[in-house]
Amino acid sequence: MRVPWTWLRELVRTSDPLDPEAWVERFPMLGLGVEAVERWGDDWVFDLETTTNRPDWLGMVGIAREVAAATGGELLVPSVALEEEDPPAQTLASVTFEDPDLCYRYVARVIVEVQVGPAPRWMADRLEKCGIRSINNVVDITNYVMLELGQPLHAFDYEGILGGRIVVRAARAGERLVTLDGVERVLPEGALVIADAERPVALGGIMGGADTEIRPTSRRVLLESAWFNPVAVRRTARAVGLRTEASTRHERGGDPERVRVAAARAAELMRRYCGGRVLRGEVDVYPNPESPRVVALRYGRLRRVLGAEIPREEAEEILRRLGFDLESLEDRALVRVPSHRRDVEREEDLIEEVARLWGYDRIPETMPVAEMGVGRLPEELAREREVRETLLRGGLTEVFTLSLLHPRDLDRVRIPPDHPLRKAPRLLNPLTEEHTHLRTTLLPSLLEVLRTNRARGIPDVHIFEIGRVYFPSGEGWEERKVVGIARMGRVLLGRWNLPEEFGETTFYHLKGVLETLLEELHIPDWRLVPESAPWLHPYRAASLWIGRERIGWMGEVHPQVAEAYDLRGRAYVAEVALMPLLAHTRPPQLRPLPRYPAVDRDLAVVVREGVTAAELVEEIRRSGGPVLEAVEPFDVYTGPQVPAGHKSIAFSLRFRSPDRTLEAREVEAVLEGIRQGLRQRFGARIRGA
Amino acid sequence: MEQEIRTLREEAGQEIQRAESPEAVEAVRRRYLGKRGRLTQLLRGLGSLPPEERARVGALLNETKAWLVAQLEARAEVVRALALEHRLRAEAIDVTLPGRRPIPGRPHVLGRTIQEILEIFRSMGFEVVEGPEIETEEFNFRRLNIPEDHPARDMQDSFYLDREHLLRTQVTAVDVRVMAVRRPPLRVVSIGRCYRRDALDATHAPVFHQVDGFLVDEGVRFSDLKGVLSRFAREMWGPQTRVRFQPSYFPFTEPSAEIAVYFGGRWLEIGGCGMFHPRVLEFSGIDPERYTAFAFGLGVERPAMVRYGIGDIRLFWENDLRFLNQF
Repeated sequence: MRVPWTWLRELVRTSDPLDPEAWVERFPMLGLGVEAVERWGDDWVFDLETTTNRPDWLGMVGIAREVAAATGGELLVPSVALEEEDPPAQTLASVTFEDPDLCYRYVARVIVEVQVGPAPRWMADRLEKCGIRSINNVVDITNYVMLELGQPLHAFDYEGILGGRIVVRAARAGERLVTLDGVERVLPEGALVIADAERPVALGGIMGGADTEIRPTSRRVLLESAWFNPVAVRRTARAVGLRTEASTRHERGGDPERVRVAAARAAELMRRYCGGRVLRGEVDVYPNPESPRVVALRYGRLRRVLGAEIPREEAEEILRRLGFDLESLEDRALVRVPSHRRDVEREEDLIEEVARLWGYDRIPETMPVAEMGVGRLPEELAREREVRETLLRGGLTEVFTLSLLHPRDLDRVRIPPDHPLRKAPRLLNPLTEEHTHLRTTLLPSLLEVLRTNRARGIPDVHIFEIGRVYFPSGEGWEERKVVGIARMGRVLLGRWNLPEEFGETTFYHLKGVLETLLEELHIPDWRLVPESAPWLHPYRAASLWIGRERIGWMGEVHPQVAEAYDLRGRAYVAEVALMPLLAHTRPPQLRPLPRYPAVDRDLAVVVREGVTAAELVEEIRRSGGPVLEAVEPFDVYTGPQVPAGHKSIAFSLRFRSPDRTLEAREVEAVLEGIRQGLRQRFGARIRGA
Repeated sequence: MEQEIRTLREEAGQEIQRAESPEAVEAVRRRYLGKRGRLTQLLRGLGSLPPEERARVGALLNETKAWLVAQLEARAEVVRALALEHRLRAEAIDVTLPGRRPIPGRPHVLGRTIQEILEIFRSMGFEVVEGPEIETEEFNFRRLNIPEDHPARDMQDSFYLDREHLLRTQVTAVDVRVMAVRRPPLRVVSIGRCYRRDALDATHAPVFHQVDGFLVDEGVRFSDLKGVLSRFAREMWGPQTRVRFQPSYFPFTEPSAEIAVYFGGRWLEIGGCGMFHPRVLEFSGIDPERYTAFAFGLGVERPAMVRYGIGDIRLFWENDLRFLNQF
């Protein structure tokens, strides 16, 4: 709402000098945000941000009422002393509601013998300051009164209204109307229209039609002042894609009293500035008059809710100045709500009014009476935080990516058409083409981060995100948190004198991060099983299992996917469901520290290429029995010393007994058992034996 | 013989001083003190001396032997130190070459801001909860006293999945979820992603983050809201932070306020707050006569932008490492 200072000043009588500069700070304290202030010659124009619950603030009088209340001044409402002449307006005009849900009150007046011409200079100036172009005296008066009182008005050329009959109704299929902006619009069925006996002549509360426009030749004016159903106006405005000063005001809700007053005020101005004669009386259709609301305000409650000792007299004074009538009882007041306060329905609304005018800044700062401990962090969130910190410590940078994507992104990562990850929930009303679905995996987002960085010349990217993915589930949807990881480029900085490959990320760097994570969460029973997915290198991929549950996957990005994201190298990605991970977390239990020395031995075997380290370790553990404390591969080799199609793999083994020192021959016997087992199960050849 | 001993002593002294390695020192020792060493030979020859000379020469020989042993030990000590020094010198490196570092990981600036905010509210006794992002109209709107025809409920502003489900427009929906299943006193803060139909540009994003909190108890006052949020602001932005509460309008609070902090030379709106509208409590089956409640919702992106001088919201979502590594 644009508010010229000189106009405002005219509406308030006060001893307060009302310095406009001070009001840059004071308006916001009343709830009227100041979006801009412009110097305009000798005047100031405030652009005030009004809240949707205050339709009265879309008129100068409404703003002035607040200023008067805040300064203890008097509101000077323009008085209407209307001079009317016969014949009565009813003889020329009638109003009918076809659908009582569309309109609550409609006042029509008829002004005859008008001379259409320019509006007075002062009026055109004010309109201009408020952002409205001057058109002619009749139209300008309707706009002026709208700005003054907040009530939108419309002036029809009476000659265009067939039979002088106004019909408020819903548009019928196929009806059309050329609006004042010259656009022919096909009216959506059910739209709020003003029609005459035959055809629509205006979009109710939004814009008039060109046929009934006030022209230089117009002599008789049918003036409309109405209280339309705000929802009906809003729906119609949306449907036709047209928002106007009028529709904005109607959408926020009308004041039934103001409807009449505004019509009279505009008619009087037309008499004065257009040389017209105002026909006696108005056509006023108001089938269900609103009864005034009375709301009780308990002073005890007022003080308790605000935590401020506002004296009763001050509270009453504030409400009176805002236009409320009070009947003061012992511990409460019965407050009669004026019709312009659409928003005041119950006690809390009055409490807000008192607090607002008394000043939010005068309410003290207190702390809640109840004792405060440190707020609980649920187990799950505490664990999640641990995951995050572990990954950060592991050298991964946290990223935030949008949870919306396009199925094209799923194509790019080669997710096949029938894959479960294809079930991305679709938005009914996406805003852009790139964001039409909710994601089912972080994969495309993370690869996009790699791509962006690579494109900007940042080759080393190690990232993670803990984010949600979304799936259809039964009748509705389900959200799951997952941990996504992507790595690319070097893992070390400062590589002088190191072989090139030493600093590069490998599958095992990715796996290392997962191992660390699982270890830090004390998850005992996990394993990685070779298993690929369409977006992964078929021979460098695995799925992560805990017990019997498959909770994630990891691997090298498939070369075609890497190419689609222009990664120009190898990248490694993983995604693990967070909840199962957290569910398997156990608090660590102390294992007694060993009391006897360990015996370390190495064991190298030659086996066929396809045999995995995990299989060998499993066999070593099985035949090693309880004295085998640890086994770990430390060297894998293929080359001249090893037959084709075979590999040599060496393990370091540690033996220890919990209750005595092991003797060399005992260890040798167990080792022999292990060798036997490996020979039998894998046809292994034991090296150096 | 005495002359011989003096010569021996002189020569041995020179040889010891010339020995540069532990091996050379050992060789000198063997040359003089070994089985056929020069001093050993002289000692053996002692028996052939006349008895009157034997005692004197014997004493001289013993003294020489002790001197020789001490000299050898001292020299061995020096030589060991020299050898160590040699070895260490050979191991000299160029300490000015760059270190070998793992590539460091950093928290996202929004993640970090969220953690900071949550920690402050936890310190004031707020329990942290989470809720779904896909919400029903019931929780996102109806129970928050947002009427059917409110613009926020329009397809224009919110993303819908079907007629009843949408991506939540504010985390306040979580408050309602908590109040649906738990009874006061409640002191809860929630965090999460919210959605609105805005295309991604410098100042808008379709996805954003909010921290929301509420307190329901007997005797909760607007002044408590001011106290809690002011303390939050001072913890977050420093003890001198100025905080401003201005009247505003939200359908689910009454009175409603906007909270702003003075930062970097201007007022920055950080969120909305107010006393829960009695109807919101009623919808959750909580008696608004007995209980009062305050609630607040704070943006995460905007305070982070101002705090760190970030001018473009897209930087949060692009994840350029040169950006991320600055925080």
